Amino acid sequence: MLNPFFLNGSKPEQNLLQSLYNEQIQMYGIEVHYLPRQYATTHKIIREVIQSNFTTAVPLEAYVNTYEGYTGQGTILSKFGIENRDDLELTISRERWEDYVSPMIKGLPDGKITERPKEGDLIYFPLGDRLFEIKFVEHEQPFYSLKKNYVYELKCELFRYEDEVLDTGIDSIDDEIQEIGYIQTMHLIGAGTGAAGTAIMCPKGAVQTVHISNMGKNFSGQPVVAFSSAPSGGITATGIASVSYEYPGCSGKSGRVDAILLTNAGCGYTEPPMVTVQGGGGTGFAATVSIASSNSVRDVEVISGGSGYMQAPEVRIGVYPTFDETYIFFSSEQFFFSSSTPGPEDAAVGFATISRAGVVTDVYVTNGGDNFQFTPTVAIDPPASEGKLPDGTIITVGGTYIFNEIVKGSTSGCTARVKDWNANTNFMQLGIIAGSFVAGEYLVGETSGATYVIGHLNTDDIVSPYAANQVIELAADNIIDFSYDNPFGMP
Amino acid sequence: MFEYFYNEIFRSVIIGFGSLFNGIQIQKKDEKDQTFSVIKVPLAYGPTQKFLARMQQSPDLNHPVQMTLPRMSFEFTALAYDPSRKSTQTQQIVVTSSDGSEEKKTFLPVPYNMTIVLSVYTKFNDDMLQITEQIVPYFQPGYTLPIKFLGDYDQVVNVPVVLENIDMQDEYEGNFDTRRALLYTFTFTAKTMVFGPLTDVSKDIIKKVTVGYIAGSKSSGYERDVTYQVTPRALKDYDGTVATLLAENVDMVENIIDVENGASIKEGTYIYIGQEEMYVETVSDNRIVVKRAQDKTPLQNHVMGSPVYNITQADNIKIELGDDFGFDGNVF
Repeated sequence: MLNPFFLNGSKPEQNLLQSLYNEQIQMYGIEVHYLPRQYATTHKIIREVIQSNFTTAVPLEAYVNTYEGYTGQGTILSKFGIENRDDLELTISRERWEDYVSPMIKGLPDGKITERPKEGDLIYFPLGDRLFEIKFVEHEQPFYSLKKNYVYELKCELFRYEDEVLDTGIDSIDDEIQEIGYIQTMHLIGAGTGAAGTAIMCPKGAVQTVHISNMGKNFSGQPVVAFSSAPSGGITATGIASVSYEYPGCSGKSGRVDAILLTNAGCGYTEPPMVTVQGGGGTGFAATVSIASSNSVRDVEVISGGSGYMQAPEVRIGVYPTFDETYIFFSSEQFFFSSSTPGPEDAAVGFATISRAGVVTDVYVTNGGDNFQFTPTVAIDPPASEGKLPDGTIITVGGTYIFNEIVKGSTSGCTARVKDWNANTNFMQLGIIAGSFVAGEYLVGETSGATYVIGHLNTDDIVSPYAANQVIELAADNIIDFSYDNPFGMP
Repeated sequence: MFEYFYNEIFRSVIIGFGSLFNGIQIQKKDEKDQTFSVIKVPLAYGPTQKFLARMQQSPDLNHPVQMTLPRMSFEFTALAYDPSRKSTQTQQIVVTSSDGSEEKKTFLPVPYNMTIVLSVYTKFNDDMLQITEQIVPYFQPGYTLPIKFLGDYDQVVNVPVVLENIDMQDEYEGNFDTRRALLYTFTFTAKTMVFGPLTDVSKDIIKKVTVGYIAGSKSSGYERDVTYQVTPRALKDYDGTVATLLAENVDMVENIIDVENGASIKEGTYIYIGQEEMYVETVSDNRIVVKRAQDKTPLQNHVMGSPVYNITQADNIKIELGDDFGFDGNVF
């Protein structure tokens, strides 16, 4: 039986010891942040927390047990790249936890135990600007001084990151994951300027249209288009062949010529020229040509390529009049009745191509029109500066995305978080991607409201220094030959 | 004996092997079955120089976390001769460059098995199961990679990649000093062929072939004695000199063709326009009568203004290795 005259730890003595601990930690410790894990999704059979969020960071003083530096194995090179196996041991006050931290994290969505620090939570260590994960909480060291324990000893190891959300609102903490994890990149297209072009006319005998009677087959490359020479003094037409692999039986390598795009419709033909294609590996192409009787479009010169195009704009050459039933009004500039040959002009048709940078590169004539009484205007549709979301909301392209905000694709509904946004180059880096973005859709920032169009996107991580997926893919493109049917199927 | 050569056989197999696994994804869904994360699993070749890894992966020295997961790496670990695929040692093959301009010969390649290990490191067991499930169905137990060896010579070799075994490591037991480590190791064997040096084949081609037929026997006297001699005939004009131009459009059925200058074409010779070779039967002023699509060249339409080329004896001499050619034959 214990001696009843010795308490070995009265309440005042215990309080005194706790106060001394608190004071020592506050004098000789450092201020870390405690980030409680929020268990968003847990697999109940395999027993794993596959979705975690860290949205709260509570400052707390802690004493660093290993003042000589981190413990652990240090920095090593493994087959998975550089690993930092640094450990850290911290001591925090039990009373300060219960009185200060615990009430602040109680009630967090998807939170768990708050009565004590727990394994799996994070510690932001400001001296090293690093995130540590608590591996183990030792609650009985020192062992019951005056019949009570006064501190928690936190055994920590550097955090292994995958796709956890870190959104505490404290930039110095949230930016820890700015350049790590799986990162998709994309070039966004902002508000642009319209392209412009002018029509170059031919007074008589230009190629008006090319009617394809046989698209041929087995074209593996682009054939050369040849027109019969124009009579003396005329201009021989030139064009390029558009080869499509979209028809049944093409198999991605046996194409058909689906259009002849005129780079110059020629001039001075007195009878329709013959058109042939040569090369490209295919055979069987046949087409007939019609020529314009007077004033038709020979070529369209692109004066300005504009910018910000996400898809090839529509080109209108010469405009038919609008019919206003109130006034029965025809614009004389756009519509012409000749007393000798009454009738409208034949409209010309153009086809624009754009570069990956969103600039109009060429306008090809697919129908030169006929009987123009004046040089028609070439109208190239401007790039969209406004868009409409699926819910009907009108949005304006532009703005500045904010780091770590959630962005959403207008069509796909896919969400992600902004890792980095370069407003000068319109280069976006996204992490924690929940789905698949689609090129051409609007990317809307939920906080900033910034809206741009997704141009080219790259699902290979080219930011992370470890990932070599794209490099391997590009190297393999030169040596892997699946043109032969693979007897074991395609991957 | 050992001259320098390097066909990058092993490097090509390593690249081809890596390309099999560089599109593996992990998708995670929450309890409402909504996808909240899609990750394309990073892949890299494991071995590297330490200073390079340090420079690339820790440029500012301070790394805020231990590492990011999941990750995959692969490594070429062993090489062994495969006697079961042994072929004859003396047979040679001729390989042709992709544009047909050059030919080389080499002995039959030697069969070697490359052991390549794919290691997968994940944070969650669910990630690992997703990755494994995307790999194993393609290996029954092998998947064949058609790899173009020998660079420009387009020697496509089917290299079976066989999944030998999977080692599963999940260290979750023990004290709390160490965290759980999930590591799967897939061991593959790539059955490749190793080519030796390429050597030049003779640049000369046979310009004349003479064959003698003798029928009958010595005792009864020869009943038939014929000597047949053939010489190659060019199918195109090697100096590229335009003889004249077409003066009209020519469709696929015409055999009477107007040219701008008929004097430049001789009767009984061959001409070609576009890719079509024609035999000139008669020439009358600027009008020629031809036989179309000679020597299996394609019958084509030709537009007015197309160049017409003469094929002459000088062109026959210039036939190069790999060119198509026709024959002129004589019976003696």
